[in-house]
Amino acid sequence: METVLSIQQISKQYGKIQAVKKLSIEVEKGQIFGILGPNGSGKTTTLSIILDLIRANEGSYRWFGEEPSKESRKRIGSVIENPNFFPYLNPVDNLKIVADIKNLDYNDIDRVLHLTGLHERKKSRFRTFSFGMKQRLAIASAMLGEPEVLILDEPTNGLDPQGIAHIRDLILLVAGQGTTIILASHLLDEVQKICSHVAVLSKGKKLFDGKVSEVLAISDSFELRAANREDLIRVITTFPGFKSLESSKDIVQVFFKGDVNPEEINTYLFSNGITLNHLSERKRSLEQHFLELLQNNK
Amino acid sequence: MIKLLKIEFKKIRSYKTFWILTGVYFIFLSLGIVMAEFIINNMVDNMNRHLPIPLPHVNIFFFPDVWQNIAFFATIRYVLIFPAIIIIILITNEFTFKTIRQNVINGLSKFEFLLSKLYLILLISVVLTLLMAFGSLIIGLSHTSENTLALIFEKSTFITGFFITILTLQIYAFFFGFMLRNTGLSIALFTLYALIVEPILYYFLKSPIVFKNDISTYLPLNAVLRVTEYPAIPVLKKVMGLNLQEKVTLGGCLLPLLYSSIMVLIVVWTMKKKDL
Repeated sequence: METVLSIQQISKQYGKIQAVKKLSIEVEKGQIFGILGPNGSGKTTTLSIILDLIRANEGSYRWFGEEPSKESRKRIGSVIENPNFFPYLNPVDNLKIVADIKNLDYNDIDRVLHLTGLHERKKSRFRTFSFGMKQRLAIASAMLGEPEVLILDEPTNGLDPQGIAHIRDLILLVAGQGTTIILASHLLDEVQKICSHVAVLSKGKKLFDGKVSEVLAISDSFELRAANREDLIRVITTFPGFKSLESSKDIVQVFFKGDVNPEEINTYLFSNGITLNHLSERKRSLEQHFLELLQNNK
Repeated sequence: MIKLLKIEFKKIRSYKTFWILTGVYFIFLSLGIVMAEFIINNMVDNMNRHLPIPLPHVNIFFFPDVWQNIAFFATIRYVLIFPAIIIIILITNEFTFKTIRQNVINGLSKFEFLLSKLYLILLISVVLTLLMAFGSLIIGLSHTSENTLALIFEKSTFITGFFITILTLQIYAFFFGFMLRNTGLSIALFTLYALIVEPILYYFLKSPIVFKNDISTYLPLNAVLRVTEYPAIPVLKKVMGLNLQEKVTLGGCLLPLLYSSIMVLIVVWTMKKKDL
């Protein structure tokens, strides 16, 4: 695997506030890498450091295995915080400035405006745009010239549900073409829907990272009880989709991969000669799970 | 350089404020030049009331004095403040709109960003100097009947003087813009300094009671204004044998160039250190 971004032990302090603390992250080519954390957890600070907007107090980072430079930034398309454009220019002129900086042809401007649904407003000044349109122009600007890496900081912030769905589809489309994507978000649901990998941040520290399916796996569990506990355990481990179990006294708590409904479990166990005398489902919401992750690491 | 100027041009091409201020600047500039002769002759009339032999009215637009006079009247404090304010607005806008951040994210280095503004200042200075030279030439030709090339270009060092004045003053504005990063604050402080603080300091430093040596000439804005320090007033020359300034000297240009170079270095150093 080719490493696109490697962050080594970076720290940033604003006065007494430690915004980022010894953070290390590796992003491989083709990943959709989520940086997940509540507001103020250091997501934007981290992105600002790797884009040379602010200087880290310590640590280093490398883009494409090289020392970071303005040339490496030309291979990256980014949206950081709010969309920043000249209010008195129309989207085409604003994107021409971006194209000039990145040494790109103007031909691509039409394509990204179409993709983000801004084509009809290409003659209007940026200041007349709604927040959602501004956000979409920022995404259009990041996508200009089909960069190898796309950095999106809260890309669906301020968008209506339709806009959110549109942007998510767009991200997945671009990712499907092999673009590496780094997405910062405070929405667990967003990271889970879009990302392949995730790093969870809290107070500038990394709590975990890894595949989304592993880190954020919210295995709904079931509590089972049968007269013969040993038999129950032996049979349930052969159930397709079985992940793990915890047994206490007489209750066995079982975790599954993916969705499992109680009827399937009951039928499977009964056909294998086990009669349950207790079956209950335990659900946790995504948010609950996220909060638990954060709390366990206080 | 061409690439950076192309970007700068896109930023100002449809920026109304820029063109309105430029228009107002040109109106002030032409008014100042048109009024100059009128004001001087008014002074002559006042003097004549006390003189036994009246002085003749002057014509300040003939060769070779036209270079000096236009260079002088086009760079008086109140006119010069316009290009400075325009530069301050163009620079601080980038902080207000956060477009400087976006430019850096997209692959411009901070240094290139500074360069792009310096190139713009250089370009504006060159354009204004060409306009001034061309305008002076036309005005001079229409006011002088007998012309020889030697006569016409006798005082053409004032073209260079105008260029140095306009260039270094815009660099002062560049300094204010990048250090303060805030449009209103930079304009207010710059104007306050140029029109009020420095004139007060000037008289204070000039008074022999305070300082033995006159150090008022070291004031940064004063140093710029002294490049083309006096107009050529033929009456004074003729009647009193007084010639205040014959040419723009290298010595006179050095101090403002030194100050503006130091300011550029401070800005480069600060931008390197400070977060965007």
